[in-house]
Amino acid sequence: MKTALTLSPDPIDEAALAKARSISDDMGAVVTFSGVVRGREDEAAITSIDYESFDDMTKRQFELIFTEIEQRLPIESIRLVHRTGIVQVNESSLWVEVVAAHRAEAFDACQYLIDQMKLRVPIWKKPIVT
Amino acid sequence: MQSKPHMKLNVRFWSYFADVTGCRETAIEAEAGSTLGQLHDLVCKQFPKLADARKSTLKVVGVDYQDDDFVLSDRDEVSLFPPVQGG
Repeated sequence: MKTALTLSPDPIDEAALAKARSISDDMGAVVTFSGVVRGREDEAAITSIDYESFDDMTKRQFELIFTEIEQRLPIESIRLVHRTGIVQVNESSLWVEVVAAHRAEAFDACQYLIDQMKLRVPIWKKPIVT
Repeated sequence: MQSKPHMKLNVRFWSYFADVTGCRETAIEAEAGSTLGQLHDLVCKQFPKLADARKSTLKVVGVDYQDDDFVLSDRDEVSLFPPVQGG
């Protein structure tokens, strides 16, 4: 299974990521997910979220999750981008792409990846209030 | 009487734990053979506000989660932080 992980303070260029997609002829499902910063956090209006990451451990935990997915599901590739630093409301903080032969395993892998990320990957949010 | 040997540990704080403690990291001396749980006790004594979040605190040695029974080694780098919130 091919994997690509990017942690970056730069905006996520979804068009460029889609253009760079590489899939083999046997693949029939591409699931992408974009997590976007909402304008409210705990009922308060916010302008942005400051994402803090323990980068070395974040990479380690994502690699462990990728390995678990590879052992459970027939996935060809996963690409994941997570922003760090300030992300404005309406901007994407997370982008995930899963490529598989069929949609069931692609959706399953995407869901598992994000669920596990929220349990284990050391990234924290600090909302910036208006 | 000879004192018990000690080890030096570096403890890093992440997210709001850094605000609560007023620092990103601190050096702590503990008895050789101390566990991660015992170190957590020492840290909570030094920074009492962290004791409020004791049950939900996640504990890491290097880049791997460990439980309270994990036996620490000299120069280990320990990280303490609240539940994660990626995405």
